Amino acid sequence: MRTDSFHISRRPLKSRTEVFKSGIPFDFLKIYILSVLEKIVILPHERGKVAQTCDVETNQKTKKKSEFSKNLQENIDAVKAILTAEDIFLFEFCCADKTAATVIYADGITDKELLGTLAARPLAQKNAPKTLEEAQKSLLFPETKTAQSLQQVCDEILSGNPALFIDSIPGAVILGTKKISLRAVMEPQTSITVKGPREGFIEDVKTNMGLIRKRLKSPALQFETLQVGRVSQSVVVIAYLDNIADKKIVKEVRKRIQAIDIDGIPDSSYIGQFLAKKPYSLFKQIGSTEKPDILCAKMLEGRIAILVDGSPIALTLPYLLSEDFQSPQDYFVSPYRATISRILRLFAVLVSLYLPSFYIAAQLFKLQLLPFGLLMTVSGGIQDIPLSPSLELFFLLVVLEILIEASVRMPKYVALALSVIGALVLGDTAVKAGLVSSPAIIIVALSGISAYTVPDLTGTLSVIRITFIVVAGSIGTYGILLLTALILWYLISSDSYGTPLLAPFSPLIPKDLSDSLWKTDIYDLNTRPAVLRGKNKFRLKIKNRGN
Amino acid sequence: MDKISVRQICFLFLAMMPLTKLILYPATVSYWSANDLLLSAALNFVAEGAILALLLLLTKKTEKTFFDLLRSAFGKIGAKIVYGIFALYFAFSALLPVLEHKGFVLQILYENVPSILSFVPLFGVTFFACIKGFKTIGRTADLAMPIFLLSFLGLLFLSVMQADYSALLPIAAAPPKRLLQGSLFGLPWYGDSLCVLFFLGHFRNEKHTAKKILFSFGGGAVATLLFLATFYGIYADIAVKQQNALAHISKYTTAYTSLGRIDLFFVFALTLVSIFYLCVPLQLSVHCVRKIFDDCNPVFPSAALNLAFLVLVIVFNYSYLKIQTLYTQRLWWIYLIFCYALPALSLFLLLFRRKDKTLLRFEQTEETENKNAAERAPSLLQKKMNVSPKRAQKSPSVPKNNERGAS
Repeated sequence: MRTDSFHISRRPLKSRTEVFKSGIPFDFLKIYILSVLEKIVILPHERGKVAQTCDVETNQKTKKKSEFSKNLQENIDAVKAILTAEDIFLFEFCCADKTAATVIYADGITDKELLGTLAARPLAQKNAPKTLEEAQKSLLFPETKTAQSLQQVCDEILSGNPALFIDSIPGAVILGTKKISLRAVMEPQTSITVKGPREGFIEDVKTNMGLIRKRLKSPALQFETLQVGRVSQSVVVIAYLDNIADKKIVKEVRKRIQAIDIDGIPDSSYIGQFLAKKPYSLFKQIGSTEKPDILCAKMLEGRIAILVDGSPIALTLPYLLSEDFQSPQDYFVSPYRATISRILRLFAVLVSLYLPSFYIAAQLFKLQLLPFGLLMTVSGGIQDIPLSPSLELFFLLVVLEILIEASVRMPKYVALALSVIGALVLGDTAVKAGLVSSPAIIIVALSGISAYTVPDLTGTLSVIRITFIVVAGSIGTYGILLLTALILWYLISSDSYGTPLLAPFSPLIPKDLSDSLWKTDIYDLNTRPAVLRGKNKFRLKIKNRGN
Repeated sequence: MDKISVRQICFLFLAMMPLTKLILYPATVSYWSANDLLLSAALNFVAEGAILALLLLLTKKTEKTFFDLLRSAFGKIGAKIVYGIFALYFAFSALLPVLEHKGFVLQILYENVPSILSFVPLFGVTFFACIKGFKTIGRTADLAMPIFLLSFLGLLFLSVMQADYSALLPIAAAPPKRLLQGSLFGLPWYGDSLCVLFFLGHFRNEKHTAKKILFSFGGGAVATLLFLATFYGIYADIAVKQQNALAHISKYTTAYTSLGRIDLFFVFALTLVSIFYLCVPLQLSVHCVRKIFDDCNPVFPSAALNLAFLVLVIVFNYSYLKIQTLYTQRLWWIYLIFCYALPALSLFLLLFRRKDKTLLRFEQTEETENKNAAERAPSLLQKKMNVSPKRAQKSPSVPKNNERGAS
C-alpha cells in the first residue's frame, strides 16, 4: 500500500480574511448599500432597476466562474469562492504518477471512509486518468457522475456528494458518498397497529423510496424527483403507479410543486399546504401516512404519493374523508369486525361533535330530549352551578384542550404529575367546589376520548365541537341543525383534485361503498375505487377461490 | 356544465319531495276532505305524475337545456323574459315553505318562546347553498336519502301502533266539491316536477331514465299517502287542529317510555333534510337570475334573494295563516299555471326549430372553431411526437369533432 502518496489536508476552505478578500461579500455589501440607497434616494418608478443591475453583474460573474479550468488550483479556487463555509473541507492526494487530485466535501454529511477506500485509494494506486470518463471507470464506485457546471458541483457538495478534481482534467466527478445519520426504520407513534407491518417512514427520502420499492416491485412504479426551496433545496418526490394513477393529477401536482417559490421546506406539511386548493379549509384536503404499507395500498388504489426529504410523513392525493375512518387493522381482521369498528368510529365522531351541544340545547331549550329519570339526575347535578350550561361546557372543553396540548409537549416524567393535577385537582375538586357539574365532566370526557378514535380528524373535530357549543348555547337545537347543514353543504361542494371529499356517499358510488363505512369480503373488493378515476379498473382477478 | 345524475333526481323525488307535505299539509287537506284526504292527495299526485311524465318525454326528445329550447323558440331576449318570470315564481313559491318551516321550528324545537333571531341564520345556509349549482342539489339528495328513509320509517314505526286506520272509512264520503277543493288548495305543496324542466340538459339520459324517475316519484307519493293515512288514523276528527304533524305523530308511543322522546331525533333528522329541500326553489330562482344576466356571479343574486326573504320573514312573522290562506285559496291558479300548464306547453318548444341569429352565429363560430381545432390537432401532435402527418391523423387521441354538450 502506498499510503505515503496520500497527502491529506483537512482544513476549512477559507478563513474569514480569505473570504473577505475573495470579493463575494463585497458583492453582497454592494447590493445592500444600493438597496438602501434605492429606498432613500431613488424614485419609486426606478426602484428595482438597481437590484436588477446588480443581479446581472453577479450572474455574469457566476457565469464566468462556472467554466472549468484544466488547472486544479483554479478549479478549487472557483469552488472556494462560492462555498465559504467552515464545514467545507479539502482532501488532497496524489495519483501514482504524482498528479494532484482533490476532493471537496462537506463535513458531517459525507462518508469519509468510503471516500478514502473506494475513491482516493484506487486513484492513488494508478496513474492519473486522462479524461473524466476514464476517472469514473477507475473508481470502484457505483454512484458517480460528471458535473456540468460549477454551480452543480457546489449543489452536490452541499448535498453530501463530494466533487473530485484531477489536475489537467477540466471538470469534476461527483461521488455519491452522502452519509447522514438516520434513525432506524421503526413503528411510527402516530399509527400503531396490533396486527400488521410495523415499518414506518423515516426522514431520509431515499430510504422511504426503498421502502416503497420493496413492496411494489413493478416497473410501473415511478418516482419523479423535484427540488423545492431556494435555500433548503429539499428533494420532493412524486411517486405513482404509471398504469393505475390518473396522469392528469400527476401533471397538476407536478405543476403546483414546480410553482412553489419558497426559501425552505422543513416538512411535507408545507408541500401539503401548497397542494391544497382551499388553504383556509377546516377540513383536510390531502391525505397523509407514516407507514409504507398504507401508502402502497393507497397507491394501488390509484392515488399519488408525495415524499419530502427530511419528513417521515408521506402525502397522498386525492383525499377522501372516508379514508380517515379506515384503519390498517381493518384489513387484517374479519370484515364483520372491521365493519363494526368503522361504524363505532363514526358513532364516536358523532358523539364527540354532538353530545356536548345537545346537552346544552336540551338544558336550555328542549328538556323533552332527556328521559324523565335522566332529567332528574341531571337537574340534581346542575343545582347551584353558577355557570350557564354552555359556559360550563365551554370552560371544560378549553381545559381539556389545554391538557391535551400540554401532554403532547411536556417531558414524559412530568406526565404522571400532570395526570394527577388534571384528573384530581381540576376535575374532582372543581365538582366539589361547585364550579362545574358531574354530568358536564362526563360529557366532556366522553366527547374528548371519542374524538381520538379517528386521530387524523381530532384537530378539525375540536374546532367544530367548540363552534357547535357556541351555536347550541345561543340558538339551540335549530342552530345545531343549521350548522350541520352548512358543514354538509361545504363538504359536498369540496373536492380534492376533482375527487369529491364526501365520496362515495355524496355523490353516491354504490360500488365504492364496499370499503367505506362497511367492509366486505376481499373477493368483493376486486375493483379499484371508481371515484379515483384510475386507469386500471380491476385489481383482483377471480379465477377460482382456491377451491 | 352543472351536472346532476338521474339517481340524484330520483332521490330528490323519493326523499325530499314528501317532506314538505308532512308538516301543515295533513291538517289542511283534512280540513277540506276530512277522511277522504287520501283521495285529494292522490288526485294531486296523479296530476303531478302526468306532468312529470310529459317532462320526461321532453327529456327523451332533446338534450338541450330549457333555456336553449326557449332561445330556439323565442330568441335570447324571449328566453330571458321567461326565465325572469320563472325566477319570480320560484321566489314566490319558496315563501310559503319557508314560513311553514319557521313555524315548525319555533314551535317544535323550542320549549320557551324563541325570538325570530333563532330562525334568521337559516338564510346564511341558504345563501351558501344558492351560490352553488345543481351539482350540490344532487349531492344533498344523495345524503338526504338515507337520512330520510331511516327517520321516516322510524317515525312511521313508532306511530303505526297508535293509528286506527278504520277512521279513513267510509271512502269517498266527502262531497266531490270538498275533494276538489282539497286538491286545488293543496297545490302549493305540489309542483316539484317543475324542477325537471330546469334540470333538462343537465343530466344524461340513461336507459330507463323515465321509468326510474317515475318510480321514485311513485315511491315518494306512497310514503306521503302512508303518512297521511297514519296521521288521520291517529287524530281522526281532530286532525284539522294538528299542525306540525311530523313532530306529534309519534309522541304517544315514546312519551311514556323510559327512553324519552327518542322520536325527536328522527324529527331533527327530517328537519335537516327539509333545510336541504328549502334551498332548492331558492337555488332555482338564483339559477334563473344568473341565466338572465349571462351566467353572472351567483353571490349577488343569492345575497339579494336571501336578504329579501329575511325581510319578508320578519314582516310576516305573525301572519302565517293569512299568507297560507292567500296562497292556497286565492293564488292557487298561479301554481296551476306554472307547475302544470307551462311544463305541459313546454313540449311544444320541440316544434320550434327556428334558430335565432345569436344562436346561429354562436353555433357557426363553434363549428368553425372545432373545424380549426381538428385541423390543427394533427399538426400539433405531429410536432410534439415527431410522427408523420398521416399517423397523427389516424391517432385516436385526436378528437375528430367536438360535439357540444358532450360530457
